[in-house]
Amino acid sequence: MKKKLLKILPQIVIVLVVAALLVIMAGGNPLRAIKIFFQGTLGNLNGFMEIFVKATPLIFLGLGVSVSFRTGFFNIGAEGQLYMGAVAATATVFALPGLPGAVRIILATLAAFVTGGLWALIPAMLKRKMNISETVTTIMFNYIAIMIVGILVRGPLQDKSGALPQTPFIPDEASLPLLAYPTRLHLGVVLAIAAAILLYILLTKTTVGYELKIVGTSPRAAFCMGLPITRSLVISALLGGGLAGMAGMNEVLGVQHRLLEGISSGNGYTAVLVALLARNHPIGVVIVSVLLAAVQVGANTMQRQMGIPASIVNLLIGFIVVMVLSQDIVKIYREHKKAKELEVNQK
Amino acid sequence: MELLEMHGIVKSFPGVLANDRVDLFVRKGEIHALLGENGAGKSTLMNILYGLYIPEEGEVYWEGKRVAFTTPEEAIRNGIGMVHQHFMLVQKMTVLQNIILGLKPKGHPLLNVASVAAEIRELSEKYGLSVDPDAVVQTLSVGQQQRVEILKALYRGARLLILDEPTAVLTPQETTEFFKMLRTLRDEGQSVILISHRLSEIMQVSDRVTILRDGRSIGTVETVNTTLEELSRLMIGRELRTGGMDLPQADYEAAPLMEVKNLTLAGKDKKNRLEDITLNLYPGEVLGIAGVDGNGQRELAEVLACIEKSSEGQIVFRGDNIDNLGIRQRNRLGIAYIPDDRHRDGLVTNATLQDNLMLRLYNQSPYAHRGLLQFRQIEESSQQAVEHYNIKTPSISAVVRFLSGGNQQKIILARELEQNPSLVIACQPTRGLDIGASEYVRDRLVDCCREGGSVLLISTDLEEIRMMSHRIAVMYGGKVMGIVENNEDLKLETIGLMMGGKRLEEVDA
Repeated sequence: MKKKLLKILPQIVIVLVVAALLVIMAGGNPLRAIKIFFQGTLGNLNGFMEIFVKATPLIFLGLGVSVSFRTGFFNIGAEGQLYMGAVAATATVFALPGLPGAVRIILATLAAFVTGGLWALIPAMLKRKMNISETVTTIMFNYIAIMIVGILVRGPLQDKSGALPQTPFIPDEASLPLLAYPTRLHLGVVLAIAAAILLYILLTKTTVGYELKIVGTSPRAAFCMGLPITRSLVISALLGGGLAGMAGMNEVLGVQHRLLEGISSGNGYTAVLVALLARNHPIGVVIVSVLLAAVQVGANTMQRQMGIPASIVNLLIGFIVVMVLSQDIVKIYREHKKAKELEVNQK
Repeated sequence: MELLEMHGIVKSFPGVLANDRVDLFVRKGEIHALLGENGAGKSTLMNILYGLYIPEEGEVYWEGKRVAFTTPEEAIRNGIGMVHQHFMLVQKMTVLQNIILGLKPKGHPLLNVASVAAEIRELSEKYGLSVDPDAVVQTLSVGQQQRVEILKALYRGARLLILDEPTAVLTPQETTEFFKMLRTLRDEGQSVILISHRLSEIMQVSDRVTILRDGRSIGTVETVNTTLEELSRLMIGRELRTGGMDLPQADYEAAPLMEVKNLTLAGKDKKNRLEDITLNLYPGEVLGIAGVDGNGQRELAEVLACIEKSSEGQIVFRGDNIDNLGIRQRNRLGIAYIPDDRHRDGLVTNATLQDNLMLRLYNQSPYAHRGLLQFRQIEESSQQAVEHYNIKTPSISAVVRFLSGGNQQKIILARELEQNPSLVIACQPTRGLDIGASEYVRDRLVDCCREGGSVLLISTDLEEIRMMSHRIAVMYGGKVMGIVENNEDLKLETIGLMMGGKRLEEVDA
């Protein structure tokens, strides 16, 4: 562990230097920026809790993407699955006005999971049956889902009391309960962490998890040994899409309390980075999501108080991802070269 | 003066010392055999000479001058030609086009086809390599393609030819032809390094032999002064097991364990990949499937294991038709499968040894209970398999990719044979293994028969087939040419002719 820490130390230094340069370029004082950054995140309760509010959808989405990645299903469609989950959750809550709030929340969660899962299943089946690249179809399905939401919030689900493209607020009893009033922290974060733990158990302790792992690592060998390839792909798509759909439920029932356009603003794509950085490990997804959310919250404070654009954080995150991935590529290249030399040698 | 001198060559790879102070001296106008088991360091040594590897120590003298080639191009320019086991020919081009590929022949940039063709004809006549320069490569037989490769090297001015296992792809008849051509080459003043582990061929054709073992040169002997037994002793450090193995009796009175009737597998074009295969397998029997690589053997194995679905015909196992059963169902009936491409089909190389051992039984009691993996039982059973099959590994959680080929094959054996199968489909089970590991694999397969099982042994190694089969079926072009009893009366020539595409009836006549 100590050795690992020592290894990433130079990278942390590089990231900090780049961050400082970016702040200077934006016309700020780096030291003051750091101070405000920490004040915004760790210095007050509201900011601290906001980290977890922001991390929750990332955790759901990151889990969804990583479960797909593990099975060799390159699902870039978490964004669309989120939108479909949000639609299903909203529709369920409005469709069942007579039921108690808790029942509506549970039903809305289930509906979001199933709808998100089915939304991912279509590209999965197109891949399995017709060999169509899922990276293309899942991205296309994002646009379809976003447009469906656009139609709904301007048509059947629109709030008739205003002209804005959004639904009316959902009733308070059907919202996820707050955990630390007056902050925005709500039950969603508990659900997300529970989902991560359950997923971890499923992937490492069960026969289904074993199948997902083997099919994802070597589909051909899995097939030759008689493992159920189609079933694994279906499970992976349903689980992955379902978890992303839960993020949609979380945004509607926990944060916005209504369905509106732009309810995710690209978190579904950030989730791909989360999964990559966490190396598809469920617990890693939680940690990476919290860190990324903290950076976002801190950057927002910096923007408010110093006028430094928060988008430099996105720049920085991009930089970190490239750095981590290029390291991986070097490693893969070295191993590949070694394996090749050995192969030639064994002939 | 020696044409080529290699002194004290050292080359290591991570974890392996591939060449440990190896010496090799080749004279002008000789056929020099380089003998050694798989992994003895032959290919490494030749790749160093050819400029593919840089040695860590040692000196190379070529025609008296010290050299150190860093690219194959440099080696070629200096008169060294190499013919790889897998040919480097463009199938859709003519012989002439292949030969001049990458060169600037006379008349460049305008090609004088007639004069180049004349040059090639002259070369091929001089060395007794009858090849038509205008023939398209894909219409040529394997033996002819090999001659094109040799011509290609000669046309580039090779004075030393390195041939890597050249007979592995040839039928016995083609091999005889090939040796005749090698002698002509030598008599015309060419030098040849012949890489091989086939003792009888080396005795037939070579002038001198250098033996490598475990990366070291054991010595160089004149072929006329040595014997097959001595060579084998030098190569493996002990006597080769001669004759057949101690096979148990097969029960031909009993009902066949498996009947394959008129099995056909359609191909992408009109040509069938398997055509009208009919054979029976009896309890306790090893049925050898011989043939040159790529004549439908792999397809047969895959259809029997249900990895490919047959287009016509039936497979009856223990009296029941199993055509509609899937991979897993057939395995549960007692059909084990050892695939020929173990890295792609038989192992998940990036997973652990334990995960690989469990591929068949992971969801069966006692390894799983209500969908939960039972790690205590899995670990115990994996540990047992490692001991029982003598798998050399740091632990059961080692990643399979990092184990040696022999140990990887033992993992497959452990997994497939631990279920006491009644039929083992073994596809090239010893390919790429050293002699010790090969013997181990063969012993385990024969043990299966002893316990009442049967083995379908698909192998391109005729010696192996002769050693351990009750009967031998020969395949050519996706068809079975004939099935013969494997006894002393069986002539190698018969099998050879069938491997070349003659039916058993035609051979007998």
